[in-house]
Amino acid sequence: MSPGAPEADDLARLLERASLGDRAAFAELYRATSAKLFAVSLRIVRERQLAEEVLQDSYVAIWNHAAEYSRAKSAPGTWMAAIVRNRSLDLLRRGSREVEDVDEVLAGRLVDEGAAPAADLERRAGEHAVRECLGELEPDQRQSIALAFYHGLSHSELAGHLRRPLGTVKTHIRRGLARLRDCLERTGAVER
Amino acid sequence: MRLADPDLRHALAASYVLGTLRGPARRRFARAAQADPALARLVTRWEEYLTPLAADVAPVAPPARLWPSIEARLGPVRAKEPTGLWASVSFWRWLGMGFATAAVALLALTFGPRVPPPADSPALVAVLSTPEQSPRMVIEESRGVLKVRVTAPWPPSTTQDHELWVVPKEGAPRSLGVVPLAGEAQLRPAQLDRLLEGGIAFAVSLEPRGGSPTGAPTGAILCSGPIARSKRA
Repeated sequence: MSPGAPEADDLARLLERASLGDRAAFAELYRATSAKLFAVSLRIVRERQLAEEVLQDSYVAIWNHAAEYSRAKSAPGTWMAAIVRNRSLDLLRRGSREVEDVDEVLAGRLVDEGAAPAADLERRAGEHAVRECLGELEPDQRQSIALAFYHGLSHSELAGHLRRPLGTVKTHIRRGLARLRDCLERTGAVER
Repeated sequence: MRLADPDLRHALAASYVLGTLRGPARRRFARAAQADPALARLVTRWEEYLTPLAADVAPVAPPARLWPSIEARLGPVRAKEPTGLWASVSFWRWLGMGFATAAVALLALTFGPRVPPPADSPALVAVLSTPEQSPRMVIEESRGVLKVRVTAPWPPSTTQDHELWVVPKEGAPRSLGVVPLAGEAQLRPAQLDRLLEGGIAFAVSLEPRGGSPTGAPTGAILCSGPIARSKRA
């Protein structure tokens, strides 16, 4: 681990203190997580200004709902990233994007190979499991799911980008997700 | 949306978390999950399946000016249960804090001391914001008519209504009637002056179709805001 890479336990402690109204703890939580969460939103909404709005609203929501976060439910980074992803996705309107832009932005890239594991939001068995299970999917399924997850592409945007019929893309996603679930449950990475 | 089939429930929860569920279907599903704890747990499960992938994204530092504006929006910590908000101390504290700053700002903006208000200007104004502080509604009162303008509309609903309440300094909120989810409306409740007497804030709650069955707010607070009154003699 590089210095400053937050551990899940540290984040959970900060969240717990924030839920009691500790603003200093919340500021620390922001410092530890905002760059990662900003990047997550930026990829989906693709405009700095929108991503800034998402980030502000998300941290206010995290502050307001910190008391509802329970460690048993999910890892703190997962919980916060889910809030940011949700807000980002809620901002997207179907059909509002040009397929050409998508091609340009993506340039065939799926995952940042350069992202150092030490910079991970948190380390958990499940994190490695989902990557391993993604690796078990058909390449088409894997590519569709990764594009949708990282770049917030809709079915029709995926169809445009991958140059596949819409129905085919939907089938890849549906079957891919079902296989992912089988794999994750089989390996026991995620509790029932 | 039929949500009895377990495979369909899984498929919908998965596409909701993945992000391929869009538009009205996404909002319908979110509402269904709010009303169905088992479905909400399924969403959490899919978040645990997929969201760890977000750790792969290379960080991008947000601009430094973001934190101060987030910090400025942090209110007192809210109670856990939305229905308990009406009774909770923290709600009143939160309302009170907003009141101090927002009322002063509103008064300064709307009724500057040097400009006497024209005769037909509103006697009171309020901007209603969500607990996250995004403004959703403007309310003006003028000669027994409440003008309600939804500045940021909610998606249409066939099962629920929004009800407007005036919150007095002491005692229970008083209903002013059902308000639209989008657009504008004029409300003319009987004896409006008496209803508004001693009111310090407006609030909008989520209610079953037709409004609260009990005469008191039963659902979550969607937005609220302090009342600013003009000093007309």
